[in-house]
Amino acid sequence: MHISDGVLSPAVIAFGWIVSIIFIAFAFKMAQKQGSIAEQIPKLSVFTAAFFVASLIHINVPPTSVHLILNGLLGVVLGALAYPAMFIGLVLQALLFQHGGITTIGINSFNVGVPALICYAVFRKGSGMGLSKPAIGGICGGLAILLTTVFLAITLITAGEQFEMMAKLVVIPHMLIMVIETIVTASVVAYLAKVKPELLPLNKEDKK
Amino acid sequence: MKYPEIDKYAELDSLIHRFDPRAKIITFTLLIFSFVFIEDIRIAFVSLLFSFFILLVSRIPFGFIFNRMKPGLIFVMPFLIVMPFALDGNVLYSYNGISISYDGLYYGSLVVIRAATSIMLTLIMLGTTKMDTTMKSLHSLKVPSPFVQTLMFSYRYIFVFIDEFLSMWTSMKAKGFKVKANKHSLSIIGNIVGMILVRSYERAERVYHSMASKGYTGESRTIVKFKMQTADYGLAAILIGTVLIFIIYGMSLS
Repeated sequence: MHISDGVLSPAVIAFGWIVSIIFIAFAFKMAQKQGSIAEQIPKLSVFTAAFFVASLIHINVPPTSVHLILNGLLGVVLGALAYPAMFIGLVLQALLFQHGGITTIGINSFNVGVPALICYAVFRKGSGMGLSKPAIGGICGGLAILLTTVFLAITLITAGEQFEMMAKLVVIPHMLIMVIETIVTASVVAYLAKVKPELLPLNKEDKK
Repeated sequence: MKYPEIDKYAELDSLIHRFDPRAKIITFTLLIFSFVFIEDIRIAFVSLLFSFFILLVSRIPFGFIFNRMKPGLIFVMPFLIVMPFALDGNVLYSYNGISISYDGLYYGSLVVIRAATSIMLTLIMLGTTKMDTTMKSLHSLKVPSPFVQTLMFSYRYIFVFIDEFLSMWTSMKAKGFKVKANKHSLSIIGNIVGMILVRSYERAERVYHSMASKGYTGESRTIVKFKMQTADYGLAAILIGTVLIFIIYGMSLS
């Protein structure tokens, strides 16, 4: 799912960084409105680390092994702060585990971060309509991966026509991840709804 | 799951280790950003050799670097494997309608060389400085404070959560759980992830209160002072000069 260094053109790289910086600045601005930044920083850090570790879980699906991305869940739990959390997660992935590239952190964050934000909106809307939380959570988990795959393929194609075949090939493993993430996210949301409902965005009835 | 011990060899002593961390971050970032856009495979190869030379100077053991480079290289290998078959162009070899094209091989190798160069430089940059020094120098480079702090705290908590995850994992295994790609197994993994989140949420509350009670206001304070020496300016000038030579030479070819 991560694009490595040396694949993309300068224009795509620049686009990724500019959009990411705008999204992160905006997310921190919004967080500041909700409460003091001193309160937000430790919480965001702890969640980022938790998601980072969760994404290190590998599931063996012969003949390969896939790891969780969980960007749908991240969007559901963190809202607008999902973008900076994803960005920092990718910075740490690139720096500590050499997954993905340095120059591509911007565009990679875009590819996973924007679906996370969309999932947040979908989850709020869905749970506001009174749908079951695990079901809508599962949909978000799958939807996030689907959108990420589409973005990833578009990124590769815009990088040059020589990558068209790669763009088609990346779709196959991601369909598998999509199924896995749907089940895992549904189960996480079901668990959270039982154990810690305040972690999920509130719907209208809960607010009263 | 292993600890990300990226700065294991930061205690060694070499020219790169002594290089001012702020200058190191700036020059190495410049090197990476200029090397990954090299269009010509020969120049790309020279940039890889140059990175290898810096690695020699830094005295970090090769085994450490190559082990760390493996995952990144596995990611780009598909490009080298797929592209020679996928691209049209001058045919190098053909058998039963399957042909290997020169262009595909060229682009595939170019991607792998660029990626290897970038990973090697990243490893040298981080491997020669303690992680907390790297973070502090980001701060003194005027990277926005909330961002640097989140990065720094997340880095620290990764170790905590790896421990926490491993203890949960051990207890799951002790009860006979095996990861398989079926619905039951995946929903159990979902519960583990949920558990990590609940624990992290509760921990976040405690962490915030303990930090606030020690006077944390969202500002980062540091008592480390960096000072650029003549040697730092010299080394920075050499590295930036190298970047310029690569860029100018690359332009003269195209």
